[in-house]
Amino acid sequence: MADAVPAAGLLTLTQWLSPAFPLGGFAYSHGLEAAVEAGRVTDAASLQAWVGDVLREGAGRSDAILLAHALSDDGDAVALDRLSRAMAASKERLAETLEQGTALIRTTNALTGADHPAMTLPVALGVASRPLAVDPVQAIALYLQAFAGNMVMAGVRFIPLGQTEGQAVLAALHPAMLSVAAEAAAAPLDALGGAAIGSDLAAMAHETMDTRIFRT
Amino acid sequence: MRGKFGPEGGGDAGGASCGGAVAVERGMFDAPHSLSSLQRTRGRAHVGLTAGERISRLEQQGSAKVFLPRSHGPWPEAVFLNTSGGLTGGDRLEYVAEAEAGVRLVATTQTAERAYASTTGTAALDVRLRAGAGARLDWLPQETILFDRSDLARRTEAELATDAHLVMCETIVLGRAAMGEVLERVALSDWREVRRAGAPVLVEPLRLSAETLAGGAALIGGARAFATVAMVAPGGEDALAAVRAALGPQEVEAAASAWDGKCVVRMRAGAALPLKRALAAVLDVMRGRALPRVWQI
Repeated sequence: MADAVPAAGLLTLTQWLSPAFPLGGFAYSHGLEAAVEAGRVTDAASLQAWVGDVLREGAGRSDAILLAHALSDDGDAVALDRLSRAMAASKERLAETLEQGTALIRTTNALTGADHPAMTLPVALGVASRPLAVDPVQAIALYLQAFAGNMVMAGVRFIPLGQTEGQAVLAALHPAMLSVAAEAAAAPLDALGGAAIGSDLAAMAHETMDTRIFRT
Repeated sequence: MRGKFGPEGGGDAGGASCGGAVAVERGMFDAPHSLSSLQRTRGRAHVGLTAGERISRLEQQGSAKVFLPRSHGPWPEAVFLNTSGGLTGGDRLEYVAEAEAGVRLVATTQTAERAYASTTGTAALDVRLRAGAGARLDWLPQETILFDRSDLARRTEAELATDAHLVMCETIVLGRAAMGEVLERVALSDWREVRRAGAPVLVEPLRLSAETLAGGAALIGGARAFATVAMVAPGGEDALAAVRAALGPQEVEAAASAWDGKCVVRMRAGAALPLKRALAAVLDVMRGRALPRVWQI
């Protein structure tokens, strides 16, 4: 019985982060579409390298730190949301995190009776998940799996790759998710940052692609 | 360099008007106050311009200098200089540039900033910019060259009034190209933050480590130089089409985006010179006027 509350919270959190939950995550490639078109990501190995770098040094790590702070009862949701928006690397990056965060808040408000305003995705998830009492490292790792899963699925569709190849890439990224989650759970805000220059360039380049399947 | 030189080693110690001491006191290094720490470079240079582009404040301390060469246009130029020639562990420098209401000011650096190899902790450089109502401030430092084993913590913070205009750029060069230096170990924390009426509107926290340098195309991707240019201004989005048209050549990978009163350009290249030329082309379009004369292209 002692584990009933965490188990229930975990069940709710995995529901919110499942591809079936209406966040529309499948529509965003986080710049991967532009990287594939530019020939930088061409197969499972280069997809794994690209997504792994974004997890460790890009939005993955930064979102993880923002999420950790938003999960804390001491986290200032308004300030975190402002910081998160200001860190968006391009117009489409802001849309990606804000549209999904807005969708998450809309649906979780309806389910739980909460009245949270629209926020970027990591801040929205953190604030909405506070009552779930999930271990922060576990919550962050699940978030990173959803984030990386969207990119991997975009790669499967656009490179293209086989479904099993895609799942193998995602499984191979588990150690990166766990190490980023462990670090982020205890990181101060001034540990934010990275050097995902290629990823940020791809996010910008996506805006001027002639034909696009994904929104980012 | 003819012009209005400020007092040498001015004695202002407690006049920071931008809360500048805060970041410097963050505990960048924990060594006890020893003889070697006393010998490390300290410096603070502060320039403020008020209505009519008059100098309202010009203070210099230690190895940080700022001067205003005679200007031939309506845009005064303030040139900051680190007279120690570079930054190494334990150094602490602070540059402050303030444009009061309605003032136009271009601030730059005399030469590239060099972050030398450090065995004695982190070098700290704090840059504080402030633009008052209707002011137009350009912060256009020359490139920062990171030597192997360098350890630099830089924090650039700009505080804008509601309708102030800011253009800023930052260029990082990885190693000394002339020596064929390839970086293996480096520590850079380079936090860039623009606030408008107190709220953050653009935050770019760049962090480099050995792991980052070893990353793939999503990270540095083998580039030797990279840069960000940002215009933060009411209607800043309107610059996008012209800025995109100025991007190139092919040896420089560059892209731009504009949203919420911002126009941001990023670029990376295999060498510093083509990157600087591409950067200059973007700044020409974004600013519509000549680069500071000290810029070496």
